[in-house]
Amino acid sequence: MRPGTGLVDGLFKRKEPNLVTENGRHPEAVRQCLQQEALTYIDSLYRTAVRMTRNPSDAEDLVQETYLRALRSLDRFKPGTNLRAWLFKIMTNAFINEYRKRTRQPRNQSLDNVEEYYVYAHLIDSGVQPESRGPEEEVLASLTDDNVVAALESLSDEFRQVVLLADVEGFAYREIADILDIPIGTVMSRLHRSRRRLQRMLTGSLVEAQPYGDSAHE
Amino acid sequence: MSNCSETLERLYEYIDRELSNEEQAEVQRHLDDCPPCRDRFKFEENVLRQVRRCCRDVSAPPSLVEKVRRICNQ
Ligand SMILES: [Zn+2]
Repeated sequence: MRPGTGLVDGLFKRKEPNLVTENGRHPEAVRQCLQQEALTYIDSLYRTAVRMTRNPSDAEDLVQETYLRALRSLDRFKPGTNLRAWLFKIMTNAFINEYRKRTRQPRNQSLDNVEEYYVYAHLIDSGVQPESRGPEEEVLASLTDDNVVAALESLSDEFRQVVLLADVEGFAYREIADILDIPIGTVMSRLHRSRRRLQRMLTGSLVEAQPYGDSAHE
Repeated sequence: MSNCSETLERLYEYIDRELSNEEQAEVQRHLDDCPPCRDRFKFEENVLRQVRRCCRDVSAPPSLVEKVRRICNQ
């Protein structure tokens, strides 16, 4: 069974009524399909884990922990629902409950402003001039991946998470609300605020200077 | 035609394709006729595209893939 062929979906459609046997377990064939499909999401889970933990080796631990947990509770996965989103939900919970507990610094919102200045300094050091009034596109074009990563990693966990799920992984608002267990309105307001903050960091005061409101969804 | 502030309020929902077809078309009509809004939308999209490109440029190391494959096959 090759991953990513849509086999699992097909299987679900045909066998839906008999999917879970009396003992509450998926039949072996379904389990195997799910395990194979789960493996196809490893890059997507890993790159999110790297940005969440800010550390490749912690990210590897988090991804392994995610798969261990997923396989332990695979029988609770509802066939026909989104396996990728389910794995992200497990990873998010693992990150909040396990990983964050044992790391030293509590991430709180009040740190954000301090970090923002740090990133400004970082941008200036790297030759990007936040106060330049040149075309915005030029500023954007001169950004390196390091600039983007530094800006992203300076956001609080809650803010960074929505950006990763929406902008990098392409999840819909509804899916993000389910993954993070928060109302859809909160997803929208966090997305809004974290994008504004990212932009501010990446382009200096360029966008702030425009006469557009910052009030939607806040 | 909807005005600039209405259009800008829908900026992210438009970019994220979370609007209904009708709303999407309404925003599109405004953008077709309003260069400043169009520039602003394009700029926002570009920032997000940079973030996406940069983050998606990462894949799981082969050693991790192997470990997870073993977890999945056990
Ligand atoms: Zn306009």
